[in-house]
Amino acid sequence: MLAKHSCRALALALAFTLPAAAQPVTEIVVQYPYGDVFKETHNRLVEEFAKTHPGIKVSFRAPYKDYEDATQRILREAVTGTTPDITFQGLNRVRALADKQVAAPLDDFIKAETDFEAQGFHKAMRDAGSIGGKVYGLPFAVSLPIAYFNLDLVKAAGGDPAALPTSWDGVISLAAKIQGLRPGVHGIAAEWPISGNWLFQALVFENGGNMMDAGETKVAFDDEAGRKAIGTLARLVTETKTPNISGNDMRTAFAAGQVGVLLTTTAYVNAFTRQIGDRFTMKTSLFPGLTQGLSRLPAGGNVMMITAASAEKRKAAWEVVKYWTGPRGGAAMVETTGYMAPNAKAADHLADFYKRNPNQYTALAQLPYLTNWYAFPGDNGLKITDVIKDHLQSVMDGKRTAQANEVLTEMARDTQALLPAGK
Amino acid sequence: MTNAVLTTGASTLPSTGKRRRPHEEVASWLLVAPAASLILLLLIAPLAAVLGLSFTDYQLGARAWSYVGGANYAALANDPVFWRSVGNTATYAAIVVLGSTGLGLGVALMLGRSSFLTQVWRTVFFLPVMGSLIAMAIVWEFMLHPTFGLINAALGLFGVAPVNWLQNGDTALGVLAVIGIWQQFGFNMVLFLAGLSAIPQSLHDAAEMDGAALAWDRFQLVTWPLLAPVTLFVVVISTIRSFQVFDTVHALTKGGPNKATEVLLYTMYAEGFEFFRTGYAAAIAVVFVMAMLLLTLAKVFIAEKRIHSQ
Repeated sequence: MLAKHSCRALALALAFTLPAAAQPVTEIVVQYPYGDVFKETHNRLVEEFAKTHPGIKVSFRAPYKDYEDATQRILREAVTGTTPDITFQGLNRVRALADKQVAAPLDDFIKAETDFEAQGFHKAMRDAGSIGGKVYGLPFAVSLPIAYFNLDLVKAAGGDPAALPTSWDGVISLAAKIQGLRPGVHGIAAEWPISGNWLFQALVFENGGNMMDAGETKVAFDDEAGRKAIGTLARLVTETKTPNISGNDMRTAFAAGQVGVLLTTTAYVNAFTRQIGDRFTMKTSLFPGLTQGLSRLPAGGNVMMITAASAEKRKAAWEVVKYWTGPRGGAAMVETTGYMAPNAKAADHLADFYKRNPNQYTALAQLPYLTNWYAFPGDNGLKITDVIKDHLQSVMDGKRTAQANEVLTEMARDTQALLPAGK
Repeated sequence: MTNAVLTTGASTLPSTGKRRRPHEEVASWLLVAPAASLILLLLIAPLAAVLGLSFTDYQLGARAWSYVGGANYAALANDPVFWRSVGNTATYAAIVVLGSTGLGLGVALMLGRSSFLTQVWRTVFFLPVMGSLIAMAIVWEFMLHPTFGLINAALGLFGVAPVNWLQNGDTALGVLAVIGIWQQFGFNMVLFLAGLSAIPQSLHDAAEMDGAALAWDRFQLVTWPLLAPVTLFVVVISTIRSFQVFDTVHALTKGGPNKATEVLLYTMYAEGFEFFRTGYAAAIAVVFVMAMLLLTLAKVFIAEKRIHSQ
């Protein structure tokens, strides 16, 4: 009896409330990594988005711990069919999700847009999340390798803080001078272990090389560009005695004022600014050795991919992706994190911000060099990253620094052995 | 610990020899059913799944997989990383078992006589066993830091040049083993203390009367032989625990530099969850389980032999 009554009451209540919500609301579930970095960004964007898009409700799952966790979870959820509608993944994981058909291609959505280019979604931005000519994701937060200088050490070594070197020769000779200043001070540290081969890719790409040939059948990093890349790393060891320490230790040492030049991702600009305070002056500068028209740099950071199953959800998810990676989303992200926005129009909202934070501007100046962070094809794609890291280690710890070219040949051979045979 | 008690207990149970009536048989099956089905569900079934996976090329998240026979095992046999990993695990286990057993016994002997201070020391030495190893690994990381670490600073007082402990391929595995000893010896100490307390004082007195005047003589004559079963247990448990080393490797070295600290469980983790080669990781898991099984069988075999010979 009671149940019947309450049922009727519920039906009545529904009948009264339904007309109020004239538009059916589509809920889009989103999951992103690094909650401590991005939480503020996403919460702010949800508020802004709700004002202009009443038909779509964005909600979040608990953030992924890091990119590894993000990929593991999305792959597991793909098996059980419980993926969120939009997932944020590391830019080098696009391939794994595209190959396993976890993420939907976005080309049809992009074609349907009328003034996509004019909204700041330039070609390099679309390329960063594409595999085999199809766009699977749009980058949200992007980082590039840059140089951080400790100006106090630069001055002490007789360098000019107003004209920091941009060529490898210039940077290495300055670093060698800093190295000799006093014990415990390192001239230069390059965070080569970061994500396995990201910095190596940067060195290959800046010399105009590629990781694989155009057909993705053969390793291509063992050519002249690759030899220059590994040669540069070897020079750091022989000419500047770069320390053989982990990336983490490099960053702590830099923040402690013991490193003259640090080469790593832009993502740390905010963290360093906070940690250093006024103990010394830090200045960011272009990644050394860039040549206009030839060099490219791999984009780190994360990308938004649509993993919703139904066409209706995908359509709503596309609106979310467009807003987040568009000018407004990009501007909000830059203001709340240390990353930069890939969208060309985001900077329109950020003129003041970059004036106040010139160290953030370096990455933006490198935007024309942006290309995608290469992921190797096939089932062993991530294993290859590890193989490359081990070979580079033997150059960086001094064991085989003198035989850098042989290491490169072996690295290419071992990589080739792990690539799909039939391809 | 319970394991040892159970196996020794079961082997000494006298068999009744009587034929049970049918309804008793049904009842006995019913009684073991809950435990048996739990074992089947929680142990046998997952093991069978892993064994099955190890014969496929399954990748995490893949929609399809195919049967590849023994290809994963053949690849393992030719994989230098795997053999490096086996070698490292064996080296690590050897150092940690010797170190933590020796230190555990030594400390237990020194703490033998109970007083207030003994209680304090016992707690102090047991603390690392109770703490979370991952949290303590981070503390170790700070102490071992190449530039501002406590250990290099202390060595610097004696004029020793700073060593980059975890980034140097020659020292990294040794350092991890020292952390392993530090973490495990407290547990072994407690086991030895229990063993020592079971040795009656009268035996020592008798030995002394018979001319064993030195403490070392009494240790050789009385303590050591009577501690043998405890020692065996400690060695086996320490071996199994050392084979399971993972937390410190994951937190401090990630198997590096250049695979110098790659151990079996870490290789399995990296293959399965970093490279997503699930089938291959399953093959490593099978090899690992087999090794553990052999160790356990060896323990049971030796333990039974001892009991029968007594």
